[in-house]
Amino acid sequence: MLIYIFKRLLIAVPLVFGVLTLTFFIIRLAPGDPAAFFIQPGISPNVAEQIRAQYGLNDPVPVQYVKWLANVLQGDFGRSFSRAQQPVFDVIAEALPITVTIAGLTLVANFTFGILVGIVSAVRQNTFLDRFLTVTALFFYSMPEFWFALMMIILFALKFPLFPASGLNEIGSEGFGPVGFVLDRLWHLVLPVTVLSINGAAGIARYVRGSMLEVIRQDYIRTARAKGLPEKVVIFKHALRNALLPVITLMGSSLPFIFSGALFIEVIFAFPGMGRVTVEAIFARDYPLIIANTFVSGSLIVLGNLFADVLYAVADPRIKL
Amino acid sequence: MIDIWTKRVSAMFRLAACLMVVLFTLSSCNQRNGSQGVVVKRGGAMDSTLVIAMLGDADYLNPVLGSTVTSGNIIGLIYPSLLQSEFDTTTGLLNYMALEKKLREVTPGHGKKDPKGALAKSWKMSADQQSITYILRNDAFWNDGKRVVSGDFKFSYQLYGNPVIASARQQYLAELIGADKGKVDFDRAILTPDDTTLVFKFYKPVPEHLALYHTSLTPLPAHQWKKVKPDEFRQSPLNLQPLGAGPYKLKSWQQQQEIVLASSRSSNLPKPGTIPLITFRVVPDYTVRLTQLQTGAVDVVENIKPEDFTPLLKANRQIEIKTVGLRVYDYVGWSNIDQNEYHKSGKVRPHPLFGSARVRLALTEAIDREAIIDGYLKEYGVICNTDISPSLKWACNERLVPHSFDPAGATALLREEGWLPGPDGILQKQGRKFSFVLYTNAGNARRNYASIIIQQNLRSIGIDCKLEVQESNVFFESLQQRKLDAWMAGWSIGLEIDPLDVWGSDLKKSRFNFTGYQNPRIDALCELAKQKMEPTGARAYWLEYQEILHRDQPITFLYWIKETQGFSRRIEAEELNISGTFYNIDDWRLRPSANVAL
Repeated sequence: MLIYIFKRLLIAVPLVFGVLTLTFFIIRLAPGDPAAFFIQPGISPNVAEQIRAQYGLNDPVPVQYVKWLANVLQGDFGRSFSRAQQPVFDVIAEALPITVTIAGLTLVANFTFGILVGIVSAVRQNTFLDRFLTVTALFFYSMPEFWFALMMIILFALKFPLFPASGLNEIGSEGFGPVGFVLDRLWHLVLPVTVLSINGAAGIARYVRGSMLEVIRQDYIRTARAKGLPEKVVIFKHALRNALLPVITLMGSSLPFIFSGALFIEVIFAFPGMGRVTVEAIFARDYPLIIANTFVSGSLIVLGNLFADVLYAVADPRIKL
Repeated sequence: MIDIWTKRVSAMFRLAACLMVVLFTLSSCNQRNGSQGVVVKRGGAMDSTLVIAMLGDADYLNPVLGSTVTSGNIIGLIYPSLLQSEFDTTTGLLNYMALEKKLREVTPGHGKKDPKGALAKSWKMSADQQSITYILRNDAFWNDGKRVVSGDFKFSYQLYGNPVIASARQQYLAELIGADKGKVDFDRAILTPDDTTLVFKFYKPVPEHLALYHTSLTPLPAHQWKKVKPDEFRQSPLNLQPLGAGPYKLKSWQQQQEIVLASSRSSNLPKPGTIPLITFRVVPDYTVRLTQLQTGAVDVVENIKPEDFTPLLKANRQIEIKTVGLRVYDYVGWSNIDQNEYHKSGKVRPHPLFGSARVRLALTEAIDREAIIDGYLKEYGVICNTDISPSLKWACNERLVPHSFDPAGATALLREEGWLPGPDGILQKQGRKFSFVLYTNAGNARRNYASIIIQQNLRSIGIDCKLEVQESNVFFESLQQRKLDAWMAGWSIGLEIDPLDVWGSDLKKSRFNFTGYQNPRIDALCELAKQKMEPTGARAYWLEYQEILHRDQPITFLYWIKETQGFSRRIEAEELNISGTFYNIDDWRLRPSANVAL
């Protein structure tokens, strides 16, 4: 298995570089100018030129590419155009913990509730409970996240003011003490995590239900029941393990989400995470930051797929890598 | 089996209920209900903290580099300024004040700025208007205890003018000695004979008000920055630890989250800020900013949309809407010249649709500007005649009569110009239909609303106007490259009138003349006005300038917008005017929560 992982990682290197190269050229082909902000009445026309010179944008694109490649091979992805010329990985390092916190909590909630609802729906197939859960899951799954987030804010921050509408902490939260500070942070995370996890859990529930229904009709489940095993053991030990195989793919594909952030949610709830960094970098035509974000996301997609394949082998002894 | 699941589900509900109780308790600790069904989060830290919601973060807290509105607001509170400026709402003129001198007397009750905030005791303009000498006070200190001296200004101006640093304010140095030759000669242009004397020398006579405006750039402490190389200036960690002398100092800056300023107890420029803490919170989403204002989580939200006023004020009586002067206007741009021909051969020919002033006048008459104002801006919009704001009363031509909505008149004008209805009802001239695309930028509800009315208005007189929305960056680039025939956009005007960039006939030099409008008289008037040593002396030129624009209609001026800001009523002593929402923020006071009547 180790050799397999090593091979896959080796193949991933040119793949990620290919993605970065494409991104490098595509963003430069897109209309818009990173120095556009400095083109306005009252600002000398020299400023935009000086800014472009500083960013190295006056060179021909192939020259820019060679310079960029030379720097990237030394691990230097450059400095952000739009964020006070901070090194791009510093920007990412600041945003990442916030995104990981939200995404981590969301994923746990996603899979916990998604799997539970999926199991209940499958075990109680065609009952009122199943239909209710299926319709509810479909309702939430179809709902656009940004709209749902705004509705939750209006409902739980405005009409019934239980939770804050944005930000990571309350004003003056540093005076709450360590426990108070953490609780305050959790209090701020309730709405965004709920929005993200309800939407995600609904999708997972649909997968798990379908998969469970397939599994519980198998002969070995009938055999397990015929042996007189308690239903709990049949469902959780025999059926669930097999039914979770497709969910493993979902886990793998969720890895990039953990690090790349939830764009709309971070903008709406004013969390300075990776999603907002990416959106703002695109609007500001911050080329180094866009490429660094692409690098993080691209690498994670590759790693996520590899992770899913490895998990397959762990979960199903029939699969050999 | 059913029992197992029933137990599990009920356990889950119990868990969820417990969680809700805990969270509710937590949330209750920080909130109390108001009689209007709105939570006002006050008490403890909040009583001493003013919270301002911002769309975006500051880029730099360094006056040489900061270029966003947020940066400007915060820099103004942290750093000292050579002069204080105040806006006279009765005349629309800017006044500059040193400790012991004023440029002009302001109508009593219409300025309200304290000259004690100025570093300069006085100034003297030379008889030939080619130099200005400031005498600085000797009792102003940076936050680290070092004295603010004239050398700080000379050092800072060298930074502003350094092309490697690329400050957005280098235009302010345009009159200093050497600037006419492409490089300011700082040794001759800025002299510091001693710590309290600062002399600026110009290569040409400069009006006093312009000299004051251009020589009052914010200084940096030279002793802190002198070791930083210009090519490392933008990346220096010192940018995160601004050392100022103003009424506030930086307490913390969590990038993309919040900036907290604390009143600087040692400041005498003019005094420590009245409110102990000011927090600028980044809240990118408009709905969320509005929600936070309504719940009392923030005290100030800028640019509230008119359609939100009624529900907002109904939901929370502790909010009030305030307006600043008329500084922003929307317009429909018509390409006056054939842009394709201009790009191909450099020749200027009239645009086939919009090249004639009479056609453009017809288009203005065909657009129901009052309907747009009534339907969207209501009392917060005013018909716009030209780009000189009615707030600049000394220059505004109040005799101009707005072109009224007159579809019949517009049709007659177009007929005279040869535009006659075709078989499909669309106007035609020499086989060409009067059909075009009106572009605007995405994400502006006001312009979307206006563009739909404009489309309907034009359709009713036989003009086919298609609408297209572009992403802002793309839209701006298309405008700059003069690729668009018709568009809808807006301008925010400066307080000093200098419109040559927008209307100058030299299309290569006038970067913002997107329409290609050319009129030598407009060029001459702008130059004549600049030569006047006293702004009011140029009034006659500006009146004529407005008459020409009103006649030629290079664009259709739509409406001036009163920018509307949402304020919590617990803020006292605030004074808003065209200079900005936070004009006198260091004088604002907060009413304690116990006194907030609900």
